[in-house]
Amino acid sequence: MVASGSRQAAPAIELRGLSHSYNSHPVLRDINLVIDHGEIFGFLGHNGAGKTTTISILTSLLRPTSGEARVCGFDVVSERLDVTRNIGYLPDSVRLYDHLTGAENLEFFGKLSGIPKPLEAARETLRLLDCESYANQRVGSYSTGMRQRVAIAQAVMHRPKVLFLDEPTTGLDPSGVRQLRDIVKLMNEQLGMTIFMNTHLLSEVARVCTTIGVLNQGELIYKDTIENTTMRFRDEASLEEIYLRMEDRSA
Amino acid sequence: MITLIAAHQLRMLRRERLFLAILIALLLMTALAGFIGWSSHNTIVKVYEESSAMLASEGKPAPPDPFALKPPLSFLSNMTIYIMLIGALLAIIVGHLAIASDRASGSTRLIFARPVRRSTWFIGKLAGVGSALAIVLAASYVLSIISLVIVNDSLPTAEEFGRLALFYLVSLSYMLLFALVGVAAALIVHGRSLALLVALGIWMIVTFMVPQFTSGLRPTASLNPVVNPVDTSQRFFDVTSHFHSVSISELYRDLSAAILQSAPAQSDSVGSSEIVPISAILIVLVLLMAVLVNRLDLSEQASHE
Repeated sequence: MVASGSRQAAPAIELRGLSHSYNSHPVLRDINLVIDHGEIFGFLGHNGAGKTTTISILTSLLRPTSGEARVCGFDVVSERLDVTRNIGYLPDSVRLYDHLTGAENLEFFGKLSGIPKPLEAARETLRLLDCESYANQRVGSYSTGMRQRVAIAQAVMHRPKVLFLDEPTTGLDPSGVRQLRDIVKLMNEQLGMTIFMNTHLLSEVARVCTTIGVLNQGELIYKDTIENTTMRFRDEASLEEIYLRMEDRSA
Repeated sequence: MITLIAAHQLRMLRRERLFLAILIALLLMTALAGFIGWSSHNTIVKVYEESSAMLASEGKPAPPDPFALKPPLSFLSNMTIYIMLIGALLAIIVGHLAIASDRASGSTRLIFARPVRRSTWFIGKLAGVGSALAIVLAASYVLSIISLVIVNDSLPTAEEFGRLALFYLVSLSYMLLFALVGVAAALIVHGRSLALLVALGIWMIVTFMVPQFTSGLRPTASLNPVVNPVDTSQRFFDVTSHFHSVSISELYRDLSAAILQSAPAQSDSVGSSEIVPISAILIVLVLLMAVLVNRLDLSEQASHE
């Protein structure tokens, strides 16, 4: 499709000494992180920990104060267009265009991504996400779950190499959360996407992610695979306990 | 990409109720301007014919037909007022929606997480706004021609077609000014309602307040039968007289009057003295917009207004 080639042997995501401040208030401190292609990375942290800021930098929407961030080998500041050709992004609380139908919204975003036949791609993606039936309804009439599916469709319709999901389960009911989990797995297994997911739902991280990172007050305090994490903290009954313990240690 | 963003803008506007309501009001007023012209024409002709017949029965010569002295386009002089009021409002709405709908829905993040440059987005938005206003004024132009045909009972001449087109071109520039005010307010002010209020406040100042400091003070002196009721040689009037060159609504009104020949030209220089300030303000506003777009926080979240 339209995703441009990544740099040879470059990891999907690479952060080196990344820091960011808002009005001299530090939100990210010296983050170093490498995520390989094909991973589903769960980025955990409390509200205000800096998760959304990290995604904003990785999607080239925000310039970091210092340090370096690369996606598919491209620098997020100096090679913004190359980065954005390789990514899909689902922000939290996105509302899309209420006056347009789901298909029209996707057609517009598909054209912006440079898809040759955007309407066909939109319908194919909606079919893949099992929501083709409401393609012709205006987004303003959608439920939260329907809206979220169409928002996911806009993020994946151009088949990006790396998909960023920012709190994708916000506002979804339990069945919506389960459907989202299936979608994430589908994108990873069938389409080979690397997925970077901000979340605070530990149960979802345990079920979906291959690797986790924990951000606490702007610092990356932990990063490892799910298997290694459960091995290392085998005394803990659940991921929630592990997470709380890591935070306690950091504090 | 610019065309895509502009076309998207037009598609959004087509479904925006507020825009459609004001558009319908403007077109109705255009038709009304024609109707008022037609109605006053009929009344005056009727009175003229009755007077002529009465004078003829008394063996007196009839005065010349008043309409023979009146330029045909002057029937549309009310259009100037409608553009200043409804047209400018419509332009503010179009400019406001171009930016505010993206910001409020959080779509700017979706757009700029794609290979889209800020400049492309901005030029596309301006092209969309300009096209929307051009389409509105084209419809109004056609309605005006129909009104002229009805009032004058003949097709306008090539010169009249040209003058009317020029009037609408000037009106487009005037409306673009207000569209840019709507764009600027939506870029600077984050709250959607507040941004619209700010733009409307500027419209009120330009349309109603500034003219009060310029010509609004002087007609009292010129219309009052008492000789020199106000001494306009005072320093106060010296200062306020300089405001005329920045009173955009008055510049537009004077230029329109000269084009439609609805008022005698104030001076030989009518044209450049109005076009230069209007163009200068347009250019300054576009440059200001470019700076604002460059500083726009692309990572901002959707507002829940």
